This record gives sequence, structure tokens and C-alpha cells, in this order.
Amino acid sequence: MENKFTFVELQKDATEHIAAPHYSYWKSVFRRFFSSKVAIIMLVISLAVILMSIIQPMFSGYVAGLNPNINDQSLRYLDMSFEHPFGTDGYGNDVFDAVWAGTRTSLFISFVVTTITTVIGTIVGMFWGYSKKMDTIMLEIYNVVANVPFTLLVMVLMYVLGGGLWQLIFALSCTSWLGVAYFIRVQVMIIRDREYNLASRCLGTPTTKVLIHNILPYLISVLVTSISRDIPSYISYEVFLSYLGVGLNAETASLGRLIQEHSGYMTSKPHIFWLPVFVCALISVSLYIVGQTLADASDPRTHMM
Amino acid sequence: MKQYILGRVVRSIISIFAVVSIACALIYGLIPHEKIFNNDPTWKKIASDPVASITYKYQKWEDLGYVDFQNAGDICKLAGDDVDYNKCVRGTTDAFELVKAEWEAKGYTVMYKDDGTAYVKQGIDFYEEQPSLCKLTETGANYDECVKTRNSDLEKAVSSYIEDGYVLNYYNTGTLYAVRENTVPEIIFGYISNLVKIDTPWTVNDASNPNLERKIYPGLDHNNIPALKCSGCESQYLLYLDGKFPFIHQNIIKLNFGISYPTYSGLGTMDVIGQGQGDPVKNEVHYDTGLTAKSAVNLHSCKYKSSSTMSSDDAKKFATNYADCDTNKKDPSMIGTSYLFGILGIIVSYGIGLPAGILMAQKKDKWQDKLGIVYINVMIATPSLAFIFFMKMLGNKIGLPDKFPSLGFGSIKSYILPVIILGLLSTAGLMIWMRRYMVDQANSDYVKFARAKGLSQKEIFNRHILKNAIIPIVNGIPASIVLCISGAVITESVFAIPGMGKMLPDAINAANNNMIITLTFIFTSLSVISLLLGDLLMTLVDPRIQLSSKGDSR
Repeated sequence: MENKFTFVELQKDATEHIAAPHYSYWKSVFRRFFSSKVAIIMLVISLAVILMSIIQPMFSGYVAGLNPNINDQSLRYLDMSFEHPFGTDGYGNDVFDAVWAGTRTSLFISFVVTTITTVIGTIVGMFWGYSKKMDTIMLEIYNVVANVPFTLLVMVLMYVLGGGLWQLIFALSCTSWLGVAYFIRVQVMIIRDREYNLASRCLGTPTTKVLIHNILPYLISVLVTSISRDIPSYISYEVFLSYLGVGLNAETASLGRLIQEHSGYMTSKPHIFWLPVFVCALISVSLYIVGQTLADASDPRTHMM
Repeated sequence: MKQYILGRVVRSIISIFAVVSIACALIYGLIPHEKIFNNDPTWKKIASDPVASITYKYQKWEDLGYVDFQNAGDICKLAGDDVDYNKCVRGTTDAFELVKAEWEAKGYTVMYKDDGTAYVKQGIDFYEEQPSLCKLTETGANYDECVKTRNSDLEKAVSSYIEDGYVLNYYNTGTLYAVRENTVPEIIFGYISNLVKIDTPWTVNDASNPNLERKIYPGLDHNNIPALKCSGCESQYLLYLDGKFPFIHQNIIKLNFGISYPTYSGLGTMDVIGQGQGDPVKNEVHYDTGLTAKSAVNLHSCKYKSSSTMSSDDAKKFATNYADCDTNKKDPSMIGTSYLFGILGIIVSYGIGLPAGILMAQKKDKWQDKLGIVYINVMIATPSLAFIFFMKMLGNKIGLPDKFPSLGFGSIKSYILPVIILGLLSTAGLMIWMRRYMVDQANSDYVKFARAKGLSQKEIFNRHILKNAIIPIVNGIPASIVLCISGAVITESVFAIPGMGKMLPDAINAANNNMIITLTFIFTSLSVISLLLGDLLMTLVDPRIQLSSKGDSR
């Protein structure tokens, strides 16, 4: 009888191959993100605002508190025109220049503070959530600090440090990193005792390695959510504190102080008051929506659909 | 449970004191002491006068606890009997007085440097210091005696001050003063140890009234209502009743946060934020001497006045020495104003936030839910200042005033806009959580079981889900008072409402250090207490929740 079977050579690499659809995390994140039209529009707006606030102040030569045209009566309170898109104020300054210089300061502060608090908060929060010994100490500290209204802390710190850009960044950072750390701690506690982490611990993986390779990837979408909430809130804080006169000093351009100075013109010259308010709202809303969509997209569970 | 509450209360008190101490340390340690004079009109007037400005500066610093300041008069008075007071105050030696008289007879003016040495100067050619003055003299005064800046009497008087670390300085008139800078721990300790004042019958020390009785006795006040009175205490009424909230008032334990300066100068900070504002209100008042007059005086607030300062007018009105009284004012105090707005704001935010959150959960994924989510996102993303101004513009369109004082406390119109804004600012957070809790509960087993039993959707929502979902919200009610306070800082500033929230940035801009610490204390205590109350309230609403762990925690 003829043997109908033939021997097949064993393919070594085929045994290693698991049949699974091709999946790339970041590609899926971006595919998911760009599937939302609102997010794309908001991304375009926020990029435009960011670029404008970087480029425009380079050419405008606007310096806060300098008032070079203060003696020129003809330049005061001009209406919106091609030359002065947002008009001019009572000192003959171009409001358009002032708004973008202020926006640049606001964006700079919120990005720097968010970076600092997120980095410190994540590092501390991961160890805090993972180690029970650290938890007992940190929880006591947190209970004392969390009891105090945040606004009060920042205002007292700003009073002590004196107004200024770096002082504000310091005051905001050193009061808010603990909140981020607490948020991360809770997230870490949820997953620290999952089986894959137990397995890693049993195999003797060092804590830092477990944190970086097992826990950090899980935190990405949580972190993006927290960042997207933080950026608008720091913009809001800068505006709020400068409005009250306890934020930036007179030498730093600021949207908050601009709004405060122009709040008297709300009815007489509405454009020089409302345009800064509008720009301020525009940046934070667009950045928030971009951030929220990115946070949704960075959650792997949404990639299945 | 009792142990847990005790532990929490102790921790709360510790955290309040920790925060206040840190605030004190930062403010007293890092802010230059000169800064407080930047906004003082009196200082600007006298800054060019060297004697007056030095005295004013150190006296203010002494009032605020920064330094100990003694002028020559005080030092010599306290030195004892073996020191000749007149010679001690004069300070110079007899030998130098002779030399000085000689130079003055020649037509020169003798001046002093701040180390106390004298000099004579005329034009640019003639300048001699104390050693040369003593050398050039023709009076035959003893040189060694003449070059000394302090005579033996003064030397005796100041020796103990030098030991205590005082620095001796001189005015340009040659008169001495001693100053000791307090260290930051000393200032903080002094501040905190004076924080609580208890009024006892031995509080008053009045040399001009040695026969003052020392007793606490029940009596009647000017309206013939029973009250606990005191003779010898700082306040006449220790406990009294009146028609104002909280109806029973006490004057026994008082918090003393020091004086307010440079704004509201001279008043205690607690008085500034606790006393009524606006115009005085005059009522028919029956004084205890039988006199009846129309006056704004608040007889319950009367404090002891020293016999030496009692005027004949006071004697006509008051039978005792308790004649230093506050006046009744038309408008509520800063604390009262902030409370009023806080409470109204919370009512608005819960009145809108809770129903809206419940509706969103009931109509999940319908248009109501989507609209709510858009609203929440807009509220979170827009800077609060932009939102406030937007609402203010809408309010102005329908004729509401844009500043609180333009119509004042009397008109209901001035409340509407600030209260609505304050309320709406915290609705977004409330809606998110209410929706989340409701949706989470809706997926739980007991709801499925209730549905299987045949209960209607409405019944399930109102009688089962809501009861469970409301528990964490109840926990947050006291904490939302905190949110309202921080929100109030900006609302009160924008609307110029005379409350505590506006006081904070005002005090910061005026460098009113004691006021900042007072407000820190008040805000911190409020939030600490509200968090504690929130947890206790939660155990009342849901008996399943136990705050104290029973030893089986990991």
C-alpha cells in the first residue's frame, strides 16, 4: 500500500507564532482619537492658540507695564480695526498684543505646573500606593493638608513669596502635587494585588521594576484624564489669582490682570473686556476637550470596538 | 466609635494648629517687617521725622509682637530706687554736659549718632566727634568721663537689658532706646499662647479702682432678661440671651488673633470680621442708672473702662465701670455675610445639582444626559472668572446690579446674582457624582431583583437606588461648605460683597499679617470641622458604615 502521507519538516518559528490580530497601542489611540470630529476641531483650535501665543509675542514687542504710547491721546480706546484687531486700551496699548502675551504666560504656567505635579505626583503616588508602610505616614500628612482649602494655601504662599512667574509656579506645584499623588495612590491600590503583580512579586521582581513595567502602563489613561483636567484648572487659577492681585507681578503679562484692569469697561468698551475673557475660555475649553478625548482613546478597553 | 471620634477631633485640632503655625512661620519669617508700613498713611506723614518715625515703627512692631521696645523713660522707671531717674533719662555724664554747654555757648549745635556719640558740625569745614570735643575743651572736664556715652545711673539701668540681648540705639537727640528682635519661634509661641483668652473676675487690673469687686453673679440685663454677669471680668455679661442667632451668647472664652494693621488699624482682627458693618442703628436704650436715651450702643458688649478714663458722661449712663461698649450696626458682620452667601449658595447648588444628576442617571444616554454632560464639561473647562463675568452680563441685561453695595443688604436684588453664581460654580461636581452613583447602583444585583419582583422603574429609582446613592452625597454636604468658601473669594471680590472672602485678598494686598493668619485659622477650622461632620453624618444616614476599623484591616 502506498503511503499517502508525507513527512513535513518541523517549522521551529511557527510554534512560537500565536494567531492574533495585529495590534499597536499608540496606533489605536490615534485612530480612536481622530475618529472624533469635535476633537479634531478642538485640536486645531488649541494648536492655533498655542502657536499664536508663541509666535505673536516674538514680533509684537509688547512688554507688560511699559506703556510706550501713554502720551499719545490719539491711540486711546480705538475700536477694533485691521491694525488693532482687538482695539486699544486707556494707555494706548494694543489689546491684541497684550492678550497673546498673557496667553503665553498662562499656557506656560499651566504646562510647567502640570508637568511638575504629574511627574512628582506619579512617582510618589506609585510608591505610596504600593508600600503599606509609606501609606500610613503619607496618609497622615495628606489628612492634614487636604483639610485646608487649596485657594487659601496658594494665596498665603503667594503673599509670602511675592508676586511673580516662578513664584506662582512654585506655589501651585508645591500645593497640588499631593492631590495628584493621592489620586495615583488610589489607582495603584486597585491593581497592586492583581494576579500578574503577585506573580511578578513571587518571581522576585524588584519593586521599581514592577511599578514601571506592570503598573505604569495601566496608569496612562488615568494620567491623561488627570492632565486634561489640570491644564484648564491651572489656567483658571492663574487668571483668578492675578485678577485678585496676588498672582503675577506687573512686569509679567497676564490674562487675569488684563481682565481685572478692563473689568471697568464691561459696558463702555465691551470688546477690550470680553475678548481676553473669550480667549481665556477658548484655550481652556479646547485643551480640556482634546485631553478628555485623548484620555478616552488611551484606554485600551475602547480599542475593541 | 467614641474613641474614633475623639481621635479625629484631636487630629483635627492638631492639623488646625499645624497649619496656623506654618502660616505664622512663613509670614513672620519670610516677609520683611518693613512691608507693613507700605500702606500706612500715618507712616507716610511721619517718615521724614527721625525721632517720631523710629518710635512709631518700633511701637507698631511691639504691638504686633515682632520686637520688644523700651525707651529710656521706661528703662529708668523700672530700674529701682538706687538709680536717679532724671539723670538716667538724660543719659549723659556730668563731664560731657559741661563740655556740651561750652560748645553750645560758642554757637554750635551738638548732635548724636545712633551709637550715642556726639558730634558738632558746621558747614563742610568743621566737624568734631565726641573724643576730640572732650580733648579740645577748656572747662577742665575729666576726659575719661566725658567720652562715655552713658552715665553710671543709665549704665546700671540698662545692664539687665544688655544681658537679655537687647540692642541699644540712640535717637539723634541723644536719648537711648533698647530693642530686642523676637525670633520666629518666639513670635509664633507668643501668638499661639495668647490665642485663647478666658475671662475671669481677676482679669481687670486697674490701679485707679482698687475697690473693684471680684465676683460672678446671676442678674438681669437692661431688658430684664436673666443673664450671667461679672464684676472684675473684662466683659460685664458672661452669658446673655437676645433675639439674634444663636440666641445664647457668651463672652467667657474669646479667640485673640492680635490687632489688625495697617487696614482697620487698632481693632482686633476678630472684631473687624465679627462686628456689624454699615451705619449705626439707634434704639431706645435704658441705662442702668435709669437714664433713657436714643442710642446705638450695644449694652451687652460693654467692657471694663478704667476709672481714670471714665468721663462724666459715662458716669451719667453707667452705674459701674463697664462703659466701653460697641455700637449696633445696620448690616451683618463679614463672617455673617459670608455665611449667608455660603448657605444660600449651597441651597442653590444642591437644589439644581441633585435633581439634574438624578435626571441624567434616569435618562442615561438620552438627550437630557448628553446635555448635562456638555454642561458639566463646559463648567469644568471654563475658568471660573470667565463664567462669573458671563453670568454677570446676563444678570445686568435683566436689571440686576453688577456690584453688591449699589443696592446693599436691604434689597433682595443684590443677592440674586452672587448666590446663583456661587451655587452654579459647584453644580458640575455634584452632577457628575450623583449621576455616577446612581448609574453604579442601577447595575447592582438588588436592582435586578427588584425589577424581577415586578417593581416599576419609578419605584426602583425613588425607593431603592436614590436611598443608596444619596449616602456619599450626604457625606459631601459639609465639605461643599468648603468649596463655597473658596468659591466665595472670587465671587465676593467681583461683586464687592463685604465678606470674609473678599477680606483675604484685601488683607494680602495691604500686608495685614494678623488678618491673614486669622482668616487662615477660620477657613481651616471650618473645613476641618465640615469634613468631620460629613463623616459623622454618613454613619447616621447609613448604619452599615463604621468609621472605626475592628482590627481586621490589612
